[in-house]
Amino acid sequence: MYFVSLTARNVYTRKVRSSLTGIAIAISIAVVVTMGVLTHSLRRTAISILRTGDADFSVAQKGVSDVIYSSVDEKDVDLIGSYEGVENAIGVLVDMTKLDEDHPFFLKLGIPPGDLEAFGVQIVAGRKYEPDSQTEIMLGYRAARDLGKTIGDQVVIDDDTFDVVGIYSTGQVFGDAASMMSLVGVQTEERKPGVVTLVFVRAVEGANLDEIRARIEYDRPELATVRTESEFGRIDRNLELISAANIGVSALALIIGAVSILNTMVLSVFERTREFGVLRAIGWSRMRVLLCVMMEALVVSLTGAMVGVGAGFVAVEILARSPDLVGVFQPDYPGGVFGRALAIAFGMAFVGALYPAARAALLRPLDAIRHE
Amino acid sequence: MSDGAGRPPAIQIFDVKKSFDHGLVNALNGVTLTIGQGEWVALVGPSGCGKSTLLHLLAALDSPTSGRILVNGNDISGLPSLNRYRRFEVGLVFQLHNLLPNLTAIQNVEVAMFANGLKHSEQGERARNLLAAVSLSHREKVRPPGLSGGERQRLAIARALANNPSIILADEPTGALDSASAETVLDLFRRIRNERGVTILLVTHDREVAAAADRIIYMRDGRIVEPSLAAPAG
Ligand SMILES: Nc1ncnc2c1ncn2[C@@H]1O[C@H](COP(=O)(O)OP(=O)(O)OP(=O)(O)O)[C@@H](O)[C@H]1O
Ligand SMILES: [Mg+2]
Repeated sequence: MYFVSLTARNVYTRKVRSSLTGIAIAISIAVVVTMGVLTHSLRRTAISILRTGDADFSVAQKGVSDVIYSSVDEKDVDLIGSYEGVENAIGVLVDMTKLDEDHPFFLKLGIPPGDLEAFGVQIVAGRKYEPDSQTEIMLGYRAARDLGKTIGDQVVIDDDTFDVVGIYSTGQVFGDAASMMSLVGVQTEERKPGVVTLVFVRAVEGANLDEIRARIEYDRPELATVRTESEFGRIDRNLELISAANIGVSALALIIGAVSILNTMVLSVFERTREFGVLRAIGWSRMRVLLCVMMEALVVSLTGAMVGVGAGFVAVEILARSPDLVGVFQPDYPGGVFGRALAIAFGMAFVGALYPAARAALLRPLDAIRHE
Repeated sequence: MSDGAGRPPAIQIFDVKKSFDHGLVNALNGVTLTIGQGEWVALVGPSGCGKSTLLHLLAALDSPTSGRILVNGNDISGLPSLNRYRRFEVGLVFQLHNLLPNLTAIQNVEVAMFANGLKHSEQGERARNLLAAVSLSHREKVRPPGLSGGERQRLAIARALANNPSIILADEPTGALDSASAETVLDLFRRIRNERGVTILLVTHDREVAAAADRIIYMRDGRIVEPSLAAPAG
């Protein structure tokens, strides 16, 4: 008999109780997975906007609910561009639309053709759009490939028809899966004259980025600068909120799971006091008793977690199909979410079983054997 | 003192005292006793005279208030690992079998063998041999609630032998058995003593059971006494 078989056997002996605990854990883990996938998917969409161009940092309006609602005056773009240490500042108006079921978040970037090179854009076929054209568009090469379009073709976005005049590459996955047209064109279409969504800033070699960022935020308190993904919350409150909720849910799940484990294991250790006394009397070490209880908890929590991950999958797929969310939410299953679920399951077992396991291990064998 | 093979006696107890409750209860009042290798000794005496207490001290489940206990020549108060001692030096058999109810007969033997240095397959092999030795091969897959009293006690003996201890300590092993079952258990003790050379210390109330041993030691009020001084046991 292997030690694991013994622990599995002990868990199996208390079928009903183990299953109930397992169900509590499965539900917690299912929620963790669902929230994790949801957060990750939304974050990915949001991050994609920041990752369209080649910049040292970006500037957007501070504290808007979603980065797409950020509104920065074009004059501020010029102001930032005039700062010492700034090589160039490019204002981009971002429009996100649903192309079709497969492309729920298609990005259209309004950007002056003169800024394209500085933005890191290379024309791989065709030509740039005209500075004030409202019908010419360039597709990123991934988008072009994906949509099966090439120069001379037309694409329909939001009931408007555009002529594909060029194919570009930025070297950024998200940028290459988007499209670009003249800033004026997008501003007119969106009825946002003189406004951009984001400013992409590139500094000169060796310039102090922090200094430049501080200066921008001092001169224009309504703006926020973002360098890394973790700073993204400053310009996207929704994402910040959902990320916080995600962490909160994980913490709650850990607590709920740990308490369930604690409850069953305390009971189970108490009932088996005599058994543990006998095992100690025939030579089991304290460590082995500790391990025995811990592993029983682990068997329950990992089994529960496995069911929970499955249930989480199902929940995500149902969410993605719900009429309210079709298009808004496209599930993406990152390994990290499952890693976290696994870590939480381990955490539940460890935190929940520590006290009962220690109690069992510290029993005096004689007292335990006398226990009725 | 040693036997013919130059080995020290199995058990040497020197003036051992044991009190409980801060000296209010004196369970052992100076016990001195030597048991030779391969000897089968029965310990008899009235209830409360300290038999179990002495056995627990020998099993290293408790320590004496004063006095010394040597097992195979080694003082057990200075053992590097109590767990190893309990596992490899002595085998315990209780009055109530104290088997694990959810494990099969063979698993109840194997449970004593974790990390004993044997390969997994060797552990299974030895457990099967032990079940054969206590005539329980046909009950290998049965759990204790499905065994008779005598079978359970034989299984407990098999478990006590799991790691080849040189000494078996048994506390009232036949106390809960009818006389026919008790007889088979006593036969088993006799056989393992004869075949394996195991030293046996068996605690009992029952003089008939005691008569099966090589030597009978009488206890009273925490002391070893002459047979004439021992009260007739119930
Ligand atoms: N843990 C303890 N705490 C207090 N007193 C104890 C403890 N263990 C034993 N005693 C006392 O020590 C004395 C000897 O007990 P012990 O169990 O050794 O007797 P025994 O000879 O085995 O009796 P029995 O035949 O009834 O099993 C008794 O008076 C008992 O009440
Ligand atoms: Mg007793």
